[in-house]
Amino acid sequence: MKNRLEELRKNRGIKQEELASVLEVSRQTIGSLENGRYNPSILLAFKIANFFGMSIEEIFIYEEDAK
Amino acid sequence: MKNTKHWLITGSGIALLAVGFFLMKNIDNSNNFLMNLPYVFVGIGSGVFGSGMGSIVTSRTLKKHPETQRVLEIEKKDERNIAISNRAKAKAYDAMTFVFGALMVSFALMGIELVAVLLLVFSYLFVHGYGIYYRCKYDREM
Repeated sequence: MKNRLEELRKNRGIKQEELASVLEVSRQTIGSLENGRYNPSILLAFKIANFFGMSIEEIFIYEEDAK
Repeated sequence: MKNTKHWLITGSGIALLAVGFFLMKNIDNSNNFLMNLPYVFVGIGSGVFGSGMGSIVTSRTLKKHPETQRVLEIEKKDERNIAISNRAKAKAYDAMTFVFGALMVSFALMGIELVAVLLLVFSYLFVHGYGIYYRCKYDREM
């Protein structure tokens, strides 16, 4: 699943470490999310959406064919 | 509360060590099984004592560094770390099924004592039964 996490984070001038600290996850998790290697749980997706003041769908892009 | 638990574990370790050393001095040497018992107590006691002491030292050190404690707590609860750990455990469990299976067949072909083979078979079945139990439990819960 693709996402706009890196773009949104950079737009706000936040480091991965800072975002990780706010969301209470490791920096590696943020890196993996940004690279699309890891899909977050629904709880983490909500946390991320709340942090950026957006809806989940605006950050995470669902693709029908993606596995 | 957490510290009390660590102290209790450390105390149990010391008690096991003391029992081990006591038995070493006083046990009757005629029984083969009993002869090994003190060393078992000393071994387990050392492990429990070491684990308890390690937890106490870690807990005391982290009290002085709350930021490090927070980072460690985050690493421990991090959902990706938990997912990785669970996937690794699942892979190891799958591998264990084949390794134990091969070992049981090898032991049976080698003509190893029946008790040993049966113990291995029961352990194998117990682990798989445990897996089935949790599968059913989680199936009801989720």
